[in-house]
Amino acid sequence: MQTSGKRPGMQSVGAPPPSKRLNGGPTHDTPGDSPDPFEDPDFMEEEEEFYVEEEAPPAAAEIRLGGDDERMRQWKRPPVEPPINQATDDIVFQQLDIDYVVGTTNRDLLPYRRSDKAAIIRMFGVNSQGNSVCVFVHGFEPYFYIPLPPGYNPDSRDIYLRDLDTALANADRQGGRPGSNVLDIEVERKQSVLYYQRKRNRPFLKITLALPTMVATLRGLIERGLMANGVYLPTDTYESNVLFALRFMIDRSIVGCNWIELPAGAYRLNRGRARSFCQIEVDVMFDKLISHPASGSGLYSTLAPFRILSFDIECQGRKGHFPDAKEDPVIQIANLVTLQGSSKPLIRNVMTLNSCSPIVGADVFSHDTEAELLLRWAKLVRDVDPDVIIGYNIANFDLPYLIERARVKGLQEFQFLGRVQNTRIKMRDTTFSSKAYGTRESKEITIEGRLQFDVLQAMQRDYKLSSYSLNSVSAIFLGEQKEDVHHSIISDLQNGNPDTRRRLAVYCLKDAYLPQRLLDKLMFVYNYVEMARVTGVPFGFLLARGQSIKVLSQIMRKARTRDLLVPNLKVQGQPGDGIAYEGATVLEAKQGFYEKPIATLDFASLYPSIMMAHNLCYTTLIPKNQVAEVASDIGPENVTKTPTGDTFVKADMEKGILPEILEELLAARKRAKADLKLAKDPLEKAVLDGRQLALKVSANSVYGFTGATVGKLPCLEISSSTTAYGRQMIEHTKMHVQSKFNIANGYKFDAEVIYGDTDSVMIRFGPDDVSMAMELGREAAGYVSATFIKPIKLEFEKVYCPYLLISKKRYAGLLWTTPDKYDKMDTKGIETVRRDNCLLVKNLVTESLHKILIDRDVPGAVQYVKNQISNLLTNKVDLSLLVITKGLTKTAEKYENKSAHSELAERMRKRDPATAPNVGDRVPYVIIKGAKGARGFEKSEDPIYVLENNIPIDAQHYLENQLSKPLLRIFEPIMKNAARELLHGDHTRAVSILTPTVGGIMKFAKKRLSCLGCKAPIEKGTVCEHCGKRETELYQKSVHNVREMEDLFGRLWTQCQRCQGSLHQDVLCTSRDCPIFYRRKKVQKDLAEATTQLSRFEF
Amino acid sequence: MGSDAVQQRQTADYVSQDAQFQLRERQYRQQYSALYFTRLLQLRPVLEDRVRRQWPHVQALEILKLAAGVRCAVVGTLYKQMQLKPSILDEYTKERSAVPLVAPAKLVHDDDFLILEDMSGRIRLTGDALRPADYATGVVVAVLGVEQADGEFAVEAVLLPDLPPQPLRPPAPAAGVAPPRYVALVSGLGVGAPGVDPLQTQLLVDHLGGHLGGSQAQQLSARTVRVVLAGDSLHAPPDLLTGQALSAREQAAAVAPIQELDLLLTQLAAALPVDVMPGSTDPANYSLPQQPLHPCLFPGASQYDTFSAATNPHRFSVDGVDFLGTAGQPVADLLRYCGRDDPLALLESTLRWRHLAPTAPDTLACYPFTDSDPFLLATCPAVYFAGNQAAFATTLLQGTDGQRVRLIALPRFADTGMAVLVDLATLEAQPLTVTTTNLGGP
Repeated sequence: MQTSGKRPGMQSVGAPPPSKRLNGGPTHDTPGDSPDPFEDPDFMEEEEEFYVEEEAPPAAAEIRLGGDDERMRQWKRPPVEPPINQATDDIVFQQLDIDYVVGTTNRDLLPYRRSDKAAIIRMFGVNSQGNSVCVFVHGFEPYFYIPLPPGYNPDSRDIYLRDLDTALANADRQGGRPGSNVLDIEVERKQSVLYYQRKRNRPFLKITLALPTMVATLRGLIERGLMANGVYLPTDTYESNVLFALRFMIDRSIVGCNWIELPAGAYRLNRGRARSFCQIEVDVMFDKLISHPASGSGLYSTLAPFRILSFDIECQGRKGHFPDAKEDPVIQIANLVTLQGSSKPLIRNVMTLNSCSPIVGADVFSHDTEAELLLRWAKLVRDVDPDVIIGYNIANFDLPYLIERARVKGLQEFQFLGRVQNTRIKMRDTTFSSKAYGTRESKEITIEGRLQFDVLQAMQRDYKLSSYSLNSVSAIFLGEQKEDVHHSIISDLQNGNPDTRRRLAVYCLKDAYLPQRLLDKLMFVYNYVEMARVTGVPFGFLLARGQSIKVLSQIMRKARTRDLLVPNLKVQGQPGDGIAYEGATVLEAKQGFYEKPIATLDFASLYPSIMMAHNLCYTTLIPKNQVAEVASDIGPENVTKTPTGDTFVKADMEKGILPEILEELLAARKRAKADLKLAKDPLEKAVLDGRQLALKVSANSVYGFTGATVGKLPCLEISSSTTAYGRQMIEHTKMHVQSKFNIANGYKFDAEVIYGDTDSVMIRFGPDDVSMAMELGREAAGYVSATFIKPIKLEFEKVYCPYLLISKKRYAGLLWTTPDKYDKMDTKGIETVRRDNCLLVKNLVTESLHKILIDRDVPGAVQYVKNQISNLLTNKVDLSLLVITKGLTKTAEKYENKSAHSELAERMRKRDPATAPNVGDRVPYVIIKGAKGARGFEKSEDPIYVLENNIPIDAQHYLENQLSKPLLRIFEPIMKNAARELLHGDHTRAVSILTPTVGGIMKFAKKRLSCLGCKAPIEKGTVCEHCGKRETELYQKSVHNVREMEDLFGRLWTQCQRCQGSLHQDVLCTSRDCPIFYRRKKVQKDLAEATTQLSRFEF
Repeated sequence: MGSDAVQQRQTADYVSQDAQFQLRERQYRQQYSALYFTRLLQLRPVLEDRVRRQWPHVQALEILKLAAGVRCAVVGTLYKQMQLKPSILDEYTKERSAVPLVAPAKLVHDDDFLILEDMSGRIRLTGDALRPADYATGVVVAVLGVEQADGEFAVEAVLLPDLPPQPLRPPAPAAGVAPPRYVALVSGLGVGAPGVDPLQTQLLVDHLGGHLGGSQAQQLSARTVRVVLAGDSLHAPPDLLTGQALSAREQAAAVAPIQELDLLLTQLAAALPVDVMPGSTDPANYSLPQQPLHPCLFPGASQYDTFSAATNPHRFSVDGVDFLGTAGQPVADLLRYCGRDDPLALLESTLRWRHLAPTAPDTLACYPFTDSDPFLLATCPAVYFAGNQAAFATTLLQGTDGQRVRLIALPRFADTGMAVLVDLATLEAQPLTVTTTNLGGP
């Protein structure tokens, strides 16, 4: 349920937004700014899962919910047809979730293992028939490396083994009896991934342990100094901070969401008591399964028909309070089950507390008690057996709420929603903190074997929006407004009759439907699955964890193929205090309005290609103190000195793994794009497009990973060299372009570089027509590219004409890729969507740019702005354009400084606690004229209150604090004295202010009629004696006013009827996010006033 | 030219039935749902009765009680989901350049579909038995069909309320008994509109007043018992009315067309009874029903008791002949939102739907009535006209219960120079064309 953003989770809306869209790609945007997305230090905590035998859930649920069998039968998955014969049938399935538990060693498969406890990997997935599969993988053991201790020899192996084992037995809370902790020690020849190594294949000690948590324990002991065989072990460890499930995936070449094959005879079908609720349950040794890479096309690149459950709950809050799971019941749950790849839902139902009238196309399950309702939903989850559970803000609202309600009601059986028998769902509080995504407090809920995908979280990650309410997101991406029912109305509907509850149910169903629509429309499944496949991490990591694990997963996979080990570097600082180094270059912007075409040359994948061209990598970096030595050793021609003074080995000597990863990613992207062109089937297209996007994003994130100072493997030599090359190349390009394309060389004009930013250079070549500029652009791109090392390439992409360059990182222009017609208007850094701006700013900026750039009508734009400002000052602007919205993250007392929105919330609570905004709500307000000397925060007011009481708006505030900056930014490059012209011209002389109907002196004012012509007071009628002749004209004016209002009234209220999807019922929606909410309210009042004025003529 | 004999103007009994369209207390707190609700409530018994007679073995059910696979009938209000339907939200949410500056004349699209809604719920209709292009939002129908597994309703047949009864039968044609008498219908004088020839309008007024032509023409005019101006008589300059203070010159410009119209109306009212209906361009309110033009606009004409300001829609009887007409907005709206191009066919449809303006309020502005729907057609008129159409067209519609209705698409006079004379005895409608082409000129 998503009602006017009232969930606590909506707080995060106020947190800093992602600095860039995930699929925008850092390189393309502003790669130099900050590699911060990688600062998520806590991502490597290993968590132990214990397989505890719990009592079986009471069977009471089944009995109490009898009677609706017919409709519930269709919930189940199709049966396994034909039954599987383990001797002859292969099992092929797409895995979606991989985790592990600690359980008893499987003695059938591992008769000789020394420890009784073992980590058992579990893979959950679906086969192409839609049957659920659970695979228990045995025999895979955790391990890590240390450099060979001095004095180690084969004879001392057993002593080492014993000493380490004993140390663990004493330290680890899980440490079993001595002798069962360290399973093996062996010497392997490897080398570190860090620094160029002249001597190959140093010996390392590989320590294999019984349980995953022991890795961290032993690593800690070793880092603090551990003696074995009488000597201290080296304190550096390698490969010691990999999550166990990921370790397994890396070692077995399994990537997120790929297809797994269990060959006939290699696995054992479960014949005894089932441990999971999956239809196919097998045990297998870890080395028997075959992992199929997801590339090209065919089955292994497709998606299995897995089941997606989208749901939404409604709860009945007490008046004036946000629903609290300890007190307020869940009253409805709407569910939608869709097979991946199908456009129509398989199951659509709503579960209600108390009776509810039927709904076409949806099953209605009515319940007398909340307990039955909750148990029905639990049964749905178990029967439908969804692979993915989605919804809007389910992670922080719906799921925690349901779980808490079940706890309050003492419903034991509700807790068994996962796929593993006898295992309860788990919930804990987490904080996810990263500079890119801000700090989010959230609940982490584990439903074993089922992925959770909160569409709200995905939206917050991938898109920068001014509001993340379901309503506003649907409006943007689905082009439809969502009805928004205020929670005070929800109670009334619930307390009404079956028809009003049906009304609520329809609303609830829509809220369950919209997340699924968003999932489809934004291709979330395809894009995330492909991201999991490309980067190799499980799907579940993508939303729950930061960026760096994706890069680390790729580095580890690549390192493994070359016998390289990734060291465990100690975290060097706190998030945020990263060592600053020089970012990308920005050539100074030559501000102005350019009417001649501006050609733009872009470096394709700038940072990846620099890293490839100069072979920048961990494995090729020569430590500063060894530079001279190495250079003389391998020959100075084989090393590269970067502009920052760091030295790397050239690719002929040793190809770096980062360049190799990048090459593979970019080559794969090229293939995916080629396949995409050939693909016909829309599903296949979606997969391929998701893939090429994931590949692009992954390539671009490698650079950032190396610069994340508190990341897992920071290497500033790489990242700062990369940006330094970037800066150099921009200057280099500028110099080459200007020295070649000039009159002296036979060209018609002197080219001028007017601006350059990170990976692009903007050039005015001189000619008037776009096609000439394009030709020159292409020529220049080819000419300059030839001067760079491969694969660095400068590409000509587009021409801007005209082009308004405001300052660095702020510009607007018409973008042309073909000479015939412009593609679109492109703007950057001109805030049109900032959340603390009112809509009027956005409209003004957009419309001005439109007039300047597309209509080429600068005087028109100026006139337009003047008119709007005049309208603002004479109180003719639609109020909804002036509304500013801020999220209320805490109550007013808790804000250190008084702020407009929290103070307003407090005032509104005094007026009516039932409708006042709560913490988590977004508070819309307008700035009103205050008493003289009133402070800023005292001048905020509820827009509805303003409408109803004719409270005057502080137009001057809007003009100075909202409009002036964005407008001057646009107009200053274009005209002289922009500020004086626009903000202080004649058009600002006429001011009109409303007379409020409440407060202050108005209590003593008496209303009198006045002449409609000259405002002179009169006793009756419409006009005074002097204006008598003008009656016809004045009547016409009045009637014209009525006409406009009537037209608006009709259009606004019928729009709301359409949106709510009913003609015969009143509109209940109170969505303040909706652009017409205030207008619709205002027109009721305005029209009534206009008709009253008109009726003065009837006498 | 002309004879000296003075023609006596014929008269007829006139009763206005505009009361149903007159608004008294106007309030705007309410929404539109009540209007749809009463519409369905009034028409449902009619349709249920038709269902019983037409499909005796079929049960009429509420949408909520439908069961998949069971053949049954449902009565409800149609809602047409249309891709091209303009939305006021677009003004806010869409990129500016994406909004076409001129809305297309036809908003029909192949992907449009119909939804049936009753008091209990709504259901999507499929099947070839009813083409979305033939219907409009707000029409109440009964459909026969089967609910499919996917929750859609496959329609096999449709029943409309069909022509309402006609208690006031128009007189049977009895030619030759008495001299014929006429009601003149004119629409779209467009006084003050750019490009309108004032001479042409003056000619019409002179002709109707009996000041022109030979004895034959004068006879015709003498036999005209009433003139009805069916809307758009005036073209008020909207840019002068935005509320800005006007200069004296602008004030004069704003009232000049009204004064001109008042002069014409005064001449007409001096000669014969005149009804003036407001239309979409007249200085009256915008939404239907439009209220009579205010007498203060016509200080001259309103002195005559032969002058009456009517509502739009306007219903009246002349010598027992029941007239009903609009200034054309309902038909214009249907032309945009239906696939049909023929105004007469749409007029016929509205009669069969028993609703004057089904698209009100959805796409046609209308007052939010709470306890009645004044546009319901409880009885069938004898003459049914729509003003301000592109061309003159007429036909006589005969109902199964003996109803006879004269349908008239009334052309815009400013464009065509055409008025229409309706013979009260035969219900024949004939065009009366005024032209200035043979007059004046150098």
